[in-house]
Amino acid sequence: MKVEKIKQNAFVKKVGFNRIVLIFVLLLMYLAFGVLTGGSFFGFSRISNTLNYVYFLGFLSLGVTFVIATGGIDFSIGPVMFCCSLVSGYCLTSYGVPMAISLVMSVLIGVVFGVFNGYLVAYWKVPPFIVSMASMNIAKGIAAVFTKTQSVSWPQSSTADGWYRNFVSMNGIPIGLIIFLAVSVVCAVVLNKTKWGRYILCLGSNEEAVRLSGVNVKRWKMLAYIICGTLVGIASIFFVAAYTTVQPGYGDQYNNEAIAGCVMGGTSMAGGLASISGTVIGVIIISLLQQGILALGFTKEYQYIITGLIVIAAVYSDVSARRRKN
Amino acid sequence: MGDIILTMKGIDKSFPGVHALDHVDLEVRKGEVLALMGENGAGKSTLMKVLTGIYKKDSGTITYEGKEVEFKNTREAQDAGIVIVHQELNMLGHLTVAQNLFIGREFKKGIRIDDKKMNEEAKKLFDRLNVSIDPKEQMSNLTVGKQQMCEIAKAVSFDAKVIIFDEPSAALTESEIEEMFKIIRDLKKKDIAMVYISHRMDEIKVITDRVTVMRDGTYVGTLITEKCTKEDIINMMVGRVIYEDPKTESAVPKDAPVVLKVEHLNAGRMVQDVSFELRKGEILGFSGLMGAGRTETARALFGADPKESGDIYVNGSKVTINNPQDAVNCGIGYLSEDRKRYGIVVQKTVAENTTMASMKDFMSGIFINKKKEKETAEQYVEALATKTPDVDQLVVNLSGGNQQKVVIAKWLTRNSDILIFDEPTRGIDVGAKNEIYKLMNKLVAEGKSIIMISSEMTEILRMSDRVVVMCEGKKTGELDISEAKQETIMNLATREIE
Amino acid sequence: MANKKAFGKLKGREAMVLGIIIVMVILFSILSPTFRTYPTLVSVLDNSYYITLMALGVTFPLITGGVDLSIGTGLVSYALIGGYLVIHKGVPVGVGILACIGVGLLIGVFNGVLVAVMDLPPFLATLCTCMITRGLGPALCGGFGVSWPSAISEQGAFRKIFKFINAGGTVIPIGIVFMVILVVLMSFVLDHTRVGRYIIAIGSNKEATRLAGVNVKFYHMMAYMISGVFAGMAGVAYAATYATIYPGSGAGFELDAIGGAIVGGVSASGGVGTILGSFLGVLVICLMKVGLPFIGLQANWQQIFTGIVLIAAVLVDVVKKKK
Repeated sequence: MKVEKIKQNAFVKKVGFNRIVLIFVLLLMYLAFGVLTGGSFFGFSRISNTLNYVYFLGFLSLGVTFVIATGGIDFSIGPVMFCCSLVSGYCLTSYGVPMAISLVMSVLIGVVFGVFNGYLVAYWKVPPFIVSMASMNIAKGIAAVFTKTQSVSWPQSSTADGWYRNFVSMNGIPIGLIIFLAVSVVCAVVLNKTKWGRYILCLGSNEEAVRLSGVNVKRWKMLAYIICGTLVGIASIFFVAAYTTVQPGYGDQYNNEAIAGCVMGGTSMAGGLASISGTVIGVIIISLLQQGILALGFTKEYQYIITGLIVIAAVYSDVSARRRKN
Repeated sequence: MGDIILTMKGIDKSFPGVHALDHVDLEVRKGEVLALMGENGAGKSTLMKVLTGIYKKDSGTITYEGKEVEFKNTREAQDAGIVIVHQELNMLGHLTVAQNLFIGREFKKGIRIDDKKMNEEAKKLFDRLNVSIDPKEQMSNLTVGKQQMCEIAKAVSFDAKVIIFDEPSAALTESEIEEMFKIIRDLKKKDIAMVYISHRMDEIKVITDRVTVMRDGTYVGTLITEKCTKEDIINMMVGRVIYEDPKTESAVPKDAPVVLKVEHLNAGRMVQDVSFELRKGEILGFSGLMGAGRTETARALFGADPKESGDIYVNGSKVTINNPQDAVNCGIGYLSEDRKRYGIVVQKTVAENTTMASMKDFMSGIFINKKKEKETAEQYVEALATKTPDVDQLVVNLSGGNQQKVVIAKWLTRNSDILIFDEPTRGIDVGAKNEIYKLMNKLVAEGKSIIMISSEMTEILRMSDRVVVMCEGKKTGELDISEAKQETIMNLATREIE
Repeated sequence: MANKKAFGKLKGREAMVLGIIIVMVILFSILSPTFRTYPTLVSVLDNSYYITLMALGVTFPLITGGVDLSIGTGLVSYALIGGYLVIHKGVPVGVGILACIGVGLLIGVFNGVLVAVMDLPPFLATLCTCMITRGLGPALCGGFGVSWPSAISEQGAFRKIFKFINAGGTVIPIGIVFMVILVVLMSFVLDHTRVGRYIIAIGSNKEATRLAGVNVKFYHMMAYMISGVFAGMAGVAYAATYATIYPGSGAGFELDAIGGAIVGGVSASGGVGTILGSFLGVLVICLMKVGLPFIGLQANWQQIFTGIVLIAAVLVDVVKKKK
């Protein structure tokens, strides 16, 4: 009996049962949408074209995975991402800051927000939800004040500075996908192979036990928020590379979608359990779902509703699984 | 003395692996205060929980007011007139005293809650009990003592016929205890029966009429308080035969160096001016009753909780310990009594838990050296005989004893020389217990030093080289194992307070 | 004596917020002559009604230790649905208003079930509802904006509830009267009825409340239902003030309301808070919103200040607890 249990555990561990289910769901969805739309959903160009517009979401999801792993939450990521692209974009277009520096600035602004959030949560013990609300307000405010509530248009591909758009795709090669997967691999390595990830996961699971092992939990908790901020900064680059125009005052909806991707992928809201590959698949499912809904002729309103319901289902299954265990 | 109001006969209750109550009898009369005494784990609380329906009994009968009863929950017991005044208070800090007293059964005037009437009723109740508490005061602003009075008042307001006090004086000051005794005497006159669980010998002598003693889940006997001495009660409490050989003399040479010296440690009410020394290769037992401040001392020493003052010397040199990091760097390891909360990360693997405190030894560059981690974990699994299929097993799947071994492995990996074992065998079955004991002996033989906090007398007598006894946050004695007897320890642990 | 202190503490927070309001008004008035005109006062109030209503409602979930993030997108959705019924389906305005509040109640029940019965983390559950309500209105109404009847038309009479314009063109902001009535009413509910009592008790110690024999699930749900109804009313107020409802807007409105409540002394960890405090807190936010442009700062500085004030308000609590 005991042997059996071990065998099963080993199997689940090695192959990742949940991930198999997720991939299965993904394929099924793809097929379903493909058939329902009469085949037009199948094409590679269609898919890669679609994906171009969702890489930024992937980065947001990756980032927030680290925060949720600590048992916290950050739903300022959407507006912060907008803040990054608005402020650096405004510098680019109005103050003539070189493109490369603007891009670096984008990331740096994300990092600053990460430090701010992390410091308040870890060192001042302000509830993450309040911190999120505050930095959401601050990000929106800064972006609007800085740009004088004007939308910012990053350069088009044809201009000299348009090279940054190649981050998404270049001559049909999905560079964005490659970068996204590469960053995902880095995130997975950080989460699973380094001290950072180890402590982030452990403190999400049982902060007090980790503290009593003589670990500086505050520092590692803050780090999770900084990683998140960095990825939000990167996300902002991919956002402008896909859409070029950014408008102040928006960005809220991306929080939901990014967190949805995370939760779909099996990251537990209670902290301690997180999977980067799960998040990657989860965020692709969310994007595919949204594109599929549109492809079926529904409006984006249905997108919101269906995504909302699906996340509730995912969270409920997480909560009830945990309750069964106890 | 009044008629019998409550009889419990042949109450039997088992939990997996523990026979908690073995055919226990109890008899309570109207208008009396019955003391229920016994060491930690003697089964007092379990018995009361069976009575009030929190636990279901396996066998036996409860007769209350002439009828056989079995309550399904505390609410039913409450409605019948049996109320517990808990040690931990179930209060709603943001509401007022009166609002707390009547929560769930408010007076109403239409849809409006009649706070005025509630305040008046509360006032009447307090007047009747002769306590001065303002019913309009916010609960969280009261002292613990006053909060306790509110709990008692609440019990009285239920028209209780039997009130159970579960260590009511643990958090009270002398004058508050006096006030409580006044209330108890009043209630006695009103023919209310009371069960008084306490460790304080002086209180027992003052307030109770009879004493029922329990030991290891069995009923030992009942004495008339007036006619017995403290020694009689202690003899009944500890009068067990010790099966395992107690240590007769210390195994530590007289000139062994002092590895840890604690001087005048203060941390709140539970740690007052505690000083002691720990020698190399020694097991220093910390004995005392529940709430004596032993765990608090250990936590303050380890930097887990803030301390007010006190000096700590490790290997002769003074060290500053402000947080667990400092302590770990000084070579101290702490094994908490509550492993699941403070010891292990249950959702992680054996290997991950093993290296938790010493991550930096397992890094190659920025990566965790999983091979080395695994080897080390496996090495300790073997050395400690931890039963786990492999080191990638999640700790949640291991038994209590094996989880404890994982925590030990964590500190051994860190190379900690001073280990604080807080209730090392709590919740661990007998076989695994012996293994833990063997392991501890092996560790001290290898030159580690151990502070062992234990509520089990047999464990203290079997393992320790010296015994420190604490009571009410103070160190009340220090005994060499050769002079430590059950009676002497119990005497120190229950010393009256002047 | 000590009771006075406990009472005084709450009063203290409210007095402090009131003080801030007065200082702000004086400051803005000194710095800007146009601020101290009557139309400005009306505009401050006009802009505050829907936020105030949201804040009064969301105070209840906040006091249970939860939150309701769905109110912002919710109110726009409800106003959209109500307006759609009035304009396109020809129902009387009264019914449209009831529909608006009714849908709010339904979403409140939905939130309540998610949080109280299914035990989902409140902010995540209501974040999902936030998405759902964002889509709900436009999905039901075809994705177009809706204009409620104008104030002069007979159908637009409801708008006079908030802003009465007499024959001479004088504007009387009687909405504030309704706000005050609601503040009094909800203070009564919170302080003097079982619903309020048990909602505070849940926020204070849910387990102890359950052990006292209180139907915790019901009252926990009730908090979200109140929040939903008030979001519905906020929808009506929004329609009355702005007339035209655009689908997809409303995200972020909840932040002003929740921020206001927290500034007004509602504790993020539950158990503490007053309706009056929330009301005053919201006024601070609205004053910033309307007042900052008068002193030469962009309106969006308000958001930055709100964020900072929010953190400061919570830090005060954190520091106090440490002591």
